[in-house]
Amino acid sequence: MSTLTQAAVEPSTTPPVHTDLTGMSGRRAFTDRAARVVMWGAFLLACIPLVWILVSTLVKGGHMLLSGSWWSLSQNGITSRVVGGGAAHAIQGTLMQAAVTAIMSVPIGVLTAIYLVEYGRGRLAKVVSFMVDILTGVPSIVAALFIYALWVTTFGFQRVPFAVTLALTLLMIPTIVRSTEEMLKLVPNELREASYALGVPKWRTIVSIVLPTAFSGIVTGVLLGLARVMGETAPLIILGPYTKSMAHDLFNGLMATLPTMINQDRTEALQPALDRVWGAALTLILLVFVLNLLGRFLGRFSKVKN
Amino acid sequence: MKTTRIGQLASLAVIGSLVLAGCGSDNTSGSGSSSSPVAVDCFTGTINAEGSSAQKNAIEEAIASYGKACSGAKINYNPTGSGAGIKQFTAGQVDFAGSDSALKTTAADGGQTEAAKAEAYCGAPAWNIPMVTGPIAVAYNLKGVDKLVLTPAVAADIFAGKITAWNDPAIAAVNPGVTLPSTAIKVFFRSDESGTTENFTKYLKAAAGGKWAAEPAKKWTGAGEGKEKSAGVSEGVKSTDGGVTYVEWSYAKDNKLGVAQIDNGGGAVELTGAAVGKAVAAAKQVGTGNDLALKLDYTTKEAGAYPILLVTYEIVCSKGKDATKAKSIKAFLKHFASADVQKSLEGIGYAPLPTEVETKVLAAIDALS
Repeated sequence: MSTLTQAAVEPSTTPPVHTDLTGMSGRRAFTDRAARVVMWGAFLLACIPLVWILVSTLVKGGHMLLSGSWWSLSQNGITSRVVGGGAAHAIQGTLMQAAVTAIMSVPIGVLTAIYLVEYGRGRLAKVVSFMVDILTGVPSIVAALFIYALWVTTFGFQRVPFAVTLALTLLMIPTIVRSTEEMLKLVPNELREASYALGVPKWRTIVSIVLPTAFSGIVTGVLLGLARVMGETAPLIILGPYTKSMAHDLFNGLMATLPTMINQDRTEALQPALDRVWGAALTLILLVFVLNLLGRFLGRFSKVKN
Repeated sequence: MKTTRIGQLASLAVIGSLVLAGCGSDNTSGSGSSSSPVAVDCFTGTINAEGSSAQKNAIEEAIASYGKACSGAKINYNPTGSGAGIKQFTAGQVDFAGSDSALKTTAADGGQTEAAKAEAYCGAPAWNIPMVTGPIAVAYNLKGVDKLVLTPAVAADIFAGKITAWNDPAIAAVNPGVTLPSTAIKVFFRSDESGTTENFTKYLKAAAGGKWAAEPAKKWTGAGEGKEKSAGVSEGVKSTDGGVTYVEWSYAKDNKLGVAQIDNGGGAVELTGAAVGKAVAAAKQVGTGNDLALKLDYTTKEAGAYPILLVTYEIVCSKGKDATKAKSIKAFLKHFASADVQKSLEGIGYAPLPTEVETKVLAAIDALS
């Protein structure tokens, strides 16, 4: 689907110009050029904030990432007036929470999509599909407050990293369901029919024909969804207070993440703290970028030929 | 089959990134502050605290020096504001709260008071232990004006929005010889619930002789534009010509803002550590026993005493719910209140506790169980 839209946006080679059929050729050429200018203008306009953000984070935070301690040390014992320490605690926290979120939301999301595409008929499927639509529209702060109300107010638990992953799961499930659904729909029906014709039961058809065919698309969808929730901030501020030290326990204590690291010092006036904020922002951008690349790479690498 | 190969690749990527991330470590050596290692009572484990952003820099310093001596101890402080800190404390989410004002013993809305809520949570009275005294600076940014004197009445009118230009006759009257520009006054206030706001409005209410009508509260009731936290308002003033705000001295210093001298009636007083110490020593204790809630005399006319200040407290359960945790908190607070640490705070915009207050504080910490 993305390739389709891309093809539509790209200015196609100019069609052969009929020089003097109606005398409109000048107008048509003008329209063509005008449309082209507008499209390129819109494209460049959209690029401005992107390039601006990338350049300013690179300029202001790039030097932080070059030191080895940035990737291996935490901020333990470092105050905002002192240079030093690293972001390892936050990088690790972000990756760990993202991994756990994926482990919880991928099976639920993929199975829901399989149900909707392969089995879902009638009222239940409509209700499920509608609910997924509603979930897609839930703002992250609402998901976070819902988990806070459930986890802290109702059950009386502490704010722990696991609660954060629950909120992130709520946000990730609908994106996975939607992307997987699209991928499964793209699998040609002839494949399924051929399989049935050979007497293969439905579940085996899904497991060995449909899923492998759509696999690359599903993986890409999952990685893109993951990249999205990794930058999510609202659940972290509400459920996952920042800490300066390393943490490995999801069910106990606090765990730092890159967004909360940025949030902690974002209004600070002291240069060492500001440098860390920019460094953390650049690190987060890099992580998301790598995940995106990985998604595209896996998608290309494993393309099943029709 | 292709699928399994991709699966392997994907899981390899996930595991690899986790392992890589797991390599990180806490730097136990520490760096920076020069204070010599002091004899401290160490604990192993974690304490979580939350609250006043006014004491963020002070407690950060104390945590860093404590961590240097005790590598097994982890102390987290989240500067989310006094109101949030007390709420999280009474909800059992943090081990102690930092607050710029003592727990309320009267409830504004007729419900349960803060003190009662804390006592219900602790199962014993919660104590207010003063730990850091921080002067509140009236910080301004005005081109060409290096010295500005304000009286409480003029300050009240500025922050209420009644005086709108810097060359107002009322300001000129208390600043003879200073050329004031006609720049519009832009007031910045704390948009979050803040003990700094409460202390500042308490001062205006007490000292401005009826010019400040609103009741002192954590939420701002005057004029101006809201900014988040201490760092937000100082950033606002720094980037606005004609800007003025009330903020902890350390933030005014860090942002290199102008600081107004205050004239309570006994002459203009410049903000210095000594001037603050004079005012703190004059404060009265209003809590009973080891509850060291203090009442400051905002109207003091004593020469050389800077009257606008806040005392930030650590709010702790007098009898801890969990014995080991209580011991850990005790060990850390003892370090925080020690003379060495208190002295080191002066360099970053706080005033050390006066000796007689410090003695009481140490006695109260000793009585925690």
